[in-house]
Amino acid sequence: MWKTVLRRVLFMIPQLFILSILIFALAKLMPGDPFTGLITPDTDPKTIEALREAAGLNDSILVQYGRWITNAFKGDFGVSYTHKIAVSSIIGQRAGNTVFLSLFTIIMTYVIALPVGLLAGRYQNSIFDKIVVIYNYISYAVPTFVLGLVILFLFGYQLQWFPTSGSVDVGVTSGTFAYFMNKLYHLILPGLTGAILGTATTIQYLRNEVIDAKQQDFVKTARSKGVPVSKVYSRHIFRNSMLPITSNIGMELVALISGSIFIETIFAYPGIGQLFIQSIGSRDYSVITALVMLFGVITLIGTLVSDILMSVVDPRIRLD
Amino acid sequence: MNMKKKGTSLLVSLATVSLVLAACGGGNKSGGNDASKDNGKENVDKSLFPIETSNDKDAIKGGTLNVALVSDSAFKGIFSQEFNDDAYDSKIFQFNVEPLYTYDDNFAITNDGPTEVKFDEKAKTATITIKDGVKWSDGEALKAEDIAYTYEVVGHKDYDGVRYDETFKNIVGMEAYHEGTAKTISGITIKDDQTVVIEYQEVSPAMLNAGGGIWSGVLPKHNLKDVPVKEMAASDQIRKNPVTLGPFKVSNIVAGESVEFVPNEHYYKGKPKLDKVVLKRIPSDSIVASLKAGEYDVALSMPTDIYKSYEDLENTTILGREELSYTYIGFKLGTLDKEKGEVVTDPKAKMADVKLRQAMAYAVNNDEVGEAFYSGLRQNATTLIPPAFAGYHDKDLKGYTQDIDKANELLDEAGYKDVNGDGIREDKDGKPFEINFASMSGGEVAEPLAQYYIQCWEEVGLKVVLSTGRLIEFNSFYDKVKADDKDIDIFQAAWSVGTDPTPTGLYGRDSEFNFSRFATKDLDKLLKDITSEKSFDEEYRVKAFTAWQEYMAEELPVIPTLYRYETLPVSNRVKNLDWHYGATQWQNVELTAETTEK
Repeated sequence: MWKTVLRRVLFMIPQLFILSILIFALAKLMPGDPFTGLITPDTDPKTIEALREAAGLNDSILVQYGRWITNAFKGDFGVSYTHKIAVSSIIGQRAGNTVFLSLFTIIMTYVIALPVGLLAGRYQNSIFDKIVVIYNYISYAVPTFVLGLVILFLFGYQLQWFPTSGSVDVGVTSGTFAYFMNKLYHLILPGLTGAILGTATTIQYLRNEVIDAKQQDFVKTARSKGVPVSKVYSRHIFRNSMLPITSNIGMELVALISGSIFIETIFAYPGIGQLFIQSIGSRDYSVITALVMLFGVITLIGTLVSDILMSVVDPRIRLD
Repeated sequence: MNMKKKGTSLLVSLATVSLVLAACGGGNKSGGNDASKDNGKENVDKSLFPIETSNDKDAIKGGTLNVALVSDSAFKGIFSQEFNDDAYDSKIFQFNVEPLYTYDDNFAITNDGPTEVKFDEKAKTATITIKDGVKWSDGEALKAEDIAYTYEVVGHKDYDGVRYDETFKNIVGMEAYHEGTAKTISGITIKDDQTVVIEYQEVSPAMLNAGGGIWSGVLPKHNLKDVPVKEMAASDQIRKNPVTLGPFKVSNIVAGESVEFVPNEHYYKGKPKLDKVVLKRIPSDSIVASLKAGEYDVALSMPTDIYKSYEDLENTTILGREELSYTYIGFKLGTLDKEKGEVVTDPKAKMADVKLRQAMAYAVNNDEVGEAFYSGLRQNATTLIPPAFAGYHDKDLKGYTQDIDKANELLDEAGYKDVNGDGIREDKDGKPFEINFASMSGGEVAEPLAQYYIQCWEEVGLKVVLSTGRLIEFNSFYDKVKADDKDIDIFQAAWSVGTDPTPTGLYGRDSEFNFSRFATKDLDKLLKDITSEKSFDEEYRVKAFTAWQEYMAEELPVIPTLYRYETLPVSNRVKNLDWHYGATQWQNVELTAETTEK
């Protein structure tokens, strides 16, 4: 298996290389550049031109790409044109928030979805199952921003149980337990929104798998051998039903980093999703390319992790 | 020579695009220039909104002022006038950054700030004298070397902000310093600990205006001297714990989200009355709900397109003032000769007939546009100087108001007649006549507004179509307009003029931003007059401005379409907040209740 993993990792290099050419070219093809938005009738156009020249934007695209890829190999993704700090630190700032939020969301999703999905499958057609199915249809249908706004309005403004914006209160000393709790407190509403949306898929998968598995021969065999029902569910069915969920984990990992533009916008939560959209708007090339490369790496790693996990969960699947 | 400073910018409704706005916040409203006072704003109709709070209840001791910054993206957090190029950041640092000088209601420099500025037009110098007892927020005295140091930073070859422009190059010896051939700037002399003399190559009356040529920012040398200029914008000294002159100082920052300010006990005008100011970034979707819930006392950069949703909030007073900006429709009348850097007006341009341009102005009703699309927060613009410049805005010019008959008459006279009877006018030779209109996307009203204008013009028989067939995204729009794209005959855009109204940068012959590409000998003369030596006489200057406005209204290379109001929702417990330009004194602001009303 390790051979395969190594091969896959090596194969990522040309993939990422092609991705980098594509994204670099596409970013440069967009009209305007980071200085277009800075035009003022009184800033001498020469000043802007000088900044452009100093930033190397007047060089040919090949020269620019060459410079960028050389630096990128050294781990230097340049300085953000808009934020004027190193790309790594602006992404670092936001990524911390996004990872924290996504982890929280994923944990909440599984804490809700696993038992609900299993029970709904087990007691198919019961009242509980019907409620779950209706809940699923609704959470599938509701757009993120509608749900986000409703939750914000209800728990944030009407009941005032939770903060309505930001990731942490200003003035809490970073690194303390109070700081962590304060961050967690800010996470609940955006996390809940993400979780409600995320549960629909997971519950649906699980429920269907459980219903399927119930009819399988190995379940009937287990039952006829006299294995207690609860044990059949926890040992035989559960593990089998987890297969589609496991294959999904890779994508969850991608979502973990790329963030959600809607949730971040509604709850004024500074994460990667917003940073990405904002950078495209302001033509912040260095941030755009670094982020796409990051997404690329994570996606490739994510699928690899999924494959590895699949082979662990399901012995029939072999990596090589 | 363009003697103005930044503060003017392309206005866009896209929150994602960073803009440069005037960095001259704070300061004191005062007497100042007498001649301009006579033309002062007493005459301007301010009835739409109050501009200061009228809370006369007893103030509580201290308290926390909760400030919302309405923005859909995280703020950047560069707390320095020298390195900032973002309107949101400058709204944040108005609490802790104080400029060197103040200005009056005509934006003329006054001496109520931390320094006194003496301008000598004969000697071409400005003498800046620091008042006694002015200290940085860390307790160090503000010194003359700080002011000189600021120029050395902006002029440094590694400086990567947008401020190093004509106004800096205008200082004697600046370019030699910038190129590295001189170690110091020869035109800047430190007389003593409290006095700096700056010598200019050329002077213009615009320099008497805030932002007109004398830089208002200052950096603390003792705090920054060990930071290389290249790394300054990213340094903690600028972003995390900036040492500043203003009434408050930063005590805590959560990057991109919130800032906590506490009083600066060394503030030269005395310690502020509030205990704390907490500023948070709030998305436009939830600001109204937040105000209703009593979470904020002040909402900065409040969107005006949702005005209807907050105009009747009971716990809030809406302050309002005219923005220093206007929307316009420009006609392409020529091209830019890139080599010479000069505008070349083409007498055969499609829109070259002045009667055609006037007819198009008579065809539209901008008051209706303001009412219907902007809840009355925008109004028909009459001249190219917004009324906020009370002394220079020509009140007697009535501009163009809708008059369909007049428009038809002008078009007939000009020879644009409908020869084939389809209701659409042909050109002077009887050939089909189609005008390409470029308009920016962004915001909900962009499309209906463009369609409204097109309909209005169709009423007078002019066929106008959208260039490229749809609205154009901000970056492409300015790329095309700047490049004199053949597919653009007319275009709708906006200018935000800073605190200096001098129009040379926008309409001069050698200005790249003269997007109409309109230049005449008469216009050259009128513009020159505004910046001439004679215009150091205020009365002369006002006349020069008036003459220019009249000429532009007659020749109409651009139709000024809308003036804008901006709003500042303030909770009912806030006292002593004055929103006149340059008059806000945060150290005087008080609260009259422990909590904000709901």
